[in-house]
Amino acid sequence: METKKSPLLQIKDMSISFFSGKDKKNGVKAVKNISFDVMEGEIVGIVGESGSGKSVTSLSIMGLLSENGAITGGSVFFNGKEISHFTKKQYQSIRGTEISMVFQEPMTSLNPVLTIGYQVEEMLLLHTKMGKKERLEAMIQILSEAGLPDAAGLLSKYPHELSGGMRQRVMIAMAMILKPKLLIADEPTTALDVTIQAKILELLKKMNETYGTTVILISHDLGVIKSICSRAVVMYRGEIVEAGNTADLFANPQKDYTKRLLFAASGTKGQMEQGREEAQSLTAAAIENDEILNVKDLRVFYDEKKKRLFERRKKKEAVKGVSFQLYEGEILGIVGESGCGKSSLAKALVKLQKDVTGTICTSVKQPQMVFQDPYGSLNPSKKIGWLLEEPLRLKKVEKAERVKRVEKILEDVGLSKEYADRYPNELSGGQRQRIAIALAVILNQKLIVLDEPVSALDVTVQAQILELLLRLRKEYRLSYVFISHDLSVVRKLCDRVLVMYDGHIVESGTTSAIYQTPEHPYTKKLLQAVLS
Amino acid sequence: MRKRKLDFNFILGIVLISFVLILVLVGLFYTPYDPNAMDITSKNLPPSLSHLFGTDYMGRDILSRVMEGAKTTFFIGIATVTIGAVIGILVGAVTGYYGGILDEILMRINDGIASFPSILLALVMVSILGTGKYNIILALGIIFIPSFARVVRSEFIAQKQLDYVRNAKLMGAGDLRIMFVHILPNTRSIILSAVTVGFNNAVLAEAGMSYLSLGVQPPDASLGRMLSEAQTYLFNAPWFALAPGLIIVITVLGFSLINERGMKDGN
Repeated sequence: METKKSPLLQIKDMSISFFSGKDKKNGVKAVKNISFDVMEGEIVGIVGESGSGKSVTSLSIMGLLSENGAITGGSVFFNGKEISHFTKKQYQSIRGTEISMVFQEPMTSLNPVLTIGYQVEEMLLLHTKMGKKERLEAMIQILSEAGLPDAAGLLSKYPHELSGGMRQRVMIAMAMILKPKLLIADEPTTALDVTIQAKILELLKKMNETYGTTVILISHDLGVIKSICSRAVVMYRGEIVEAGNTADLFANPQKDYTKRLLFAASGTKGQMEQGREEAQSLTAAAIENDEILNVKDLRVFYDEKKKRLFERRKKKEAVKGVSFQLYEGEILGIVGESGCGKSSLAKALVKLQKDVTGTICTSVKQPQMVFQDPYGSLNPSKKIGWLLEEPLRLKKVEKAERVKRVEKILEDVGLSKEYADRYPNELSGGQRQRIAIALAVILNQKLIVLDEPVSALDVTVQAQILELLLRLRKEYRLSYVFISHDLSVVRKLCDRVLVMYDGHIVESGTTSAIYQTPEHPYTKKLLQAVLS
Repeated sequence: MRKRKLDFNFILGIVLISFVLILVLVGLFYTPYDPNAMDITSKNLPPSLSHLFGTDYMGRDILSRVMEGAKTTFFIGIATVTIGAVIGILVGAVTGYYGGILDEILMRINDGIASFPSILLALVMVSILGTGKYNIILALGIIFIPSFARVVRSEFIAQKQLDYVRNAKLMGAGDLRIMFVHILPNTRSIILSAVTVGFNNAVLAEAGMSYLSLGVQPPDASLGRMLSEAQTYLFNAPWFALAPGLIIVITVLGFSLINERGMKDGN
């Protein structure tokens, strides 16, 4: 909607600081003198990495900063009124009715012990004087408008009975039920699969069009911003780097940071590509070489939860007869939505999942794995040096030799040897993932299974990790099985791709073939959902 | 590193505990009088300069006896918690890590022990084993196993699903190494708080048992024993009950305050 009326939200020279302890003067500035306007009926995107201040900015508009944070300068005008000095009561009167918010995690933003109906109705009970019948009608109307089938039946359901996408729809319905003027969506699609992502964005756009609701969409994903926002603001380290029309901004970015961000997200030219082409020729030569992994008719089972006490344990088949080969030096991508069995497959490959039939032939003794969450995969109570030494210690390597190899591997993954003396919680997500990769490489096992290794990272960090993986493959002559739901990452990195759906491989081929001429309808659907 | 903020409760807890600890440590080497030496000429004396906490019905110096008694009580508390914690951690680690039928069996036994009131169960054990310091330690130690086992088990169940445990498996670490080298250090905050709570309960249980004259036998002193002896003289010699009672209160309060901090750190 290109309605340029008056600005609905005006942020002028705003700064936000966080204070530690009793020190009320010298806080850490999270947001530094930012100014931007949001016109009525507009969809504005705020882009940036984690820590760039984009979420803090949105929370401050709602007056939801945590207790140790405060707006230390500037002002926020909403609908012509200055709201940055509002009291709790005043904020409560505008929250929900005039400004509302949708959060990232649909799993935790709904109360698990209350029904959907109760939670949606609460909005009406708090802010309106509607009668019971009116409330019910309003709820059913907004839920069906949010694209939820059987809205009436949904009211008596609990959050755990819904999928992630449905929960996010409920969240949006809840946010929209009082027809607020401004809707702030903080990474609303980050936790969702790509095919669902597109639908949620469509829904936001629809709400914007039908009710003229202004939307502020916060995301680290440029694709998301590009797809529905008319204007975008790029934030970096608490400052606005660049702002403007989305089309212009993406076509010719002015500032270095924006360029870097765009480059990291697309990565169509430059070093990455070069590295891959080089490596591809390397694989082309190697492909006549040996198979490093040969999987035949692999089925993976897991126990279903018992519903009743004396019920027989039921088995569920997560991977239903999968066969493929991996050649030395190759990177094989496996893509699919959550629940398609790709993680079960990964666990079976490294022998963490024992309940399998079929054969996995590999020349590597114990394939290693890199996990998605760099916060869970490193033991928090041990130092990095200890962690990296552990596999060597188990192989009875001498202390001096161990230290030497740890220093070497730290250098190889781009960290200085001082990191050996730190604990995992002193490292950033990207640094932790480097350590996790080092841990997989240090035993010199040539096959590494990577389960969504960059999904939890910012785009710029993502690019660095992918580069690291390519470099290590060359240096150590590694082969990767790379599992991801992120199709653009797979495209950048992998030589061949398998597409999985419901436990089956529905399509396989070289990366360029899959991306340019997809054959299976599911692959086509998946590729269409990718926001370019 | 995280900056540790000092808070008042924690400091108060440390001060209280160090006060009692100093009393106990000094008592190991020096007491103003022989704690068991009777003196008929100085019966039931109120606190004075020569007897700081007064004397009891047999003319024994109460300060010396409190020092001796606190030592005994602390020894029983520490020994009890050690037995409970070591066996409890073992049981909790094994059941939590492996699960399955072993878990079912051990945890049902655990539930069995835990379903009796602890003092009652200790009474039964003492009546089988006989009274005395070491039997009390054994009886209370066994009773303390379930609480440790349960806490450690639930923590192990949560931790074993984390990726770092999978990583350790991939490195080739064996089950025992994963349990005690990889997972155990991550449960320390919860074990620490279980230990402080356990120690408190042990001190109170020992006092209770000795009060019922099932624990430490005369003429030896323990805090509970002294309280029980003081009961008859509550009105004509109140200082007799005051000293051991205060030490128990200070100990329990001190550990509770420290523990509260431990729980906060754990989160």
